[in-house]
Amino acid sequence: MNSTEHTLWVSALIVGLVVLVAVAVLLSLLIYLVKNIDRRVVTVRDTLKAAKANTADTVLIPQVATGVDAVLAEGLQHHLFLGRVLGKVKS
Amino acid sequence: MTALVVLTVLEIVVLIAALAFYLFWVGTLLARIAGNLEECAEIVRGIVADAALIGPGVEHINETGGVVAGALPLLYGMAEEIVTDVTPRPEPPAEPAPARPASGTRRSRLHDAVGFAPRLFRTRGGVCPPATLVRPAPRDRAGGRCRVLADPLVLPGLVVLLIVAARPVDRDELTGYLLAV
Repeated sequence: MNSTEHTLWVSALIVGLVVLVAVAVLLSLLIYLVKNIDRRVVTVRDTLKAAKANTADTVLIPQVATGVDAVLAEGLQHHLFLGRVLGKVKS
Repeated sequence: MTALVVLTVLEIVVLIAALAFYLFWVGTLLARIAGNLEECAEIVRGIVADAALIGPGVEHINETGGVVAGALPLLYGMAEEIVTDVTPRPEPPAEPAPARPASGTRRSRLHDAVGFAPRLFRTRGGVCPPATLVRPAPRDRAGGRCRVLADPLVLPGLVVLLIVAARPVDRDELTGYLLAV
């Protein structure tokens, strides 16, 4: 191996080492960004859990609607009763 | 020569190892993120299912509540009528007797106004006009001797007729009478 080939090989080794360092830096940056995404996804998940807890009681709304219907039915019964009693009282 | 080969092989191995390490690390992080996102999607589906109940339920409650709110005034109006009819009222105060003069019945001045002077005379029941003009009703004869017609009839005396007929009635005087009437 002559000196020129030796110099080129050493140069190639140095360039390969620089590329290795650059790859490590870029992959570390990628890891940082992915970790950031992971933290924000966790935050979104916690917020959604709180929203789920807040909307978990909406199953009571149909029950409340049923109760209001019962109130209306009872009010109609009161109306009929008062109509009968009022007729008797006035007579 | 041998050193260069060793360094070259070592550099290649380090590069491959670094790539493998970082890829494994990124893969682990991405798998965790995928799991979290899948959990988020599940939570969002649950929220959508919960929120789907809100609209129809609130609409139903609003409609029924409106009917109830509209019927309540009618109900308490009827209840007020019942209470008003049932509540005992205080008895109205007794109507006082009309005030009568202590001096008795006054003599009417209408007769004087027309120039009539009935001749009264006393009986056992009180004062009576002459039997020829006014007589008490038979049922009013409390032992007296007054005899009257069924309806007391007082005819104008001779003096009244003479006064009325003695002078003609003026036009203005007649109008004044009519207006007074």
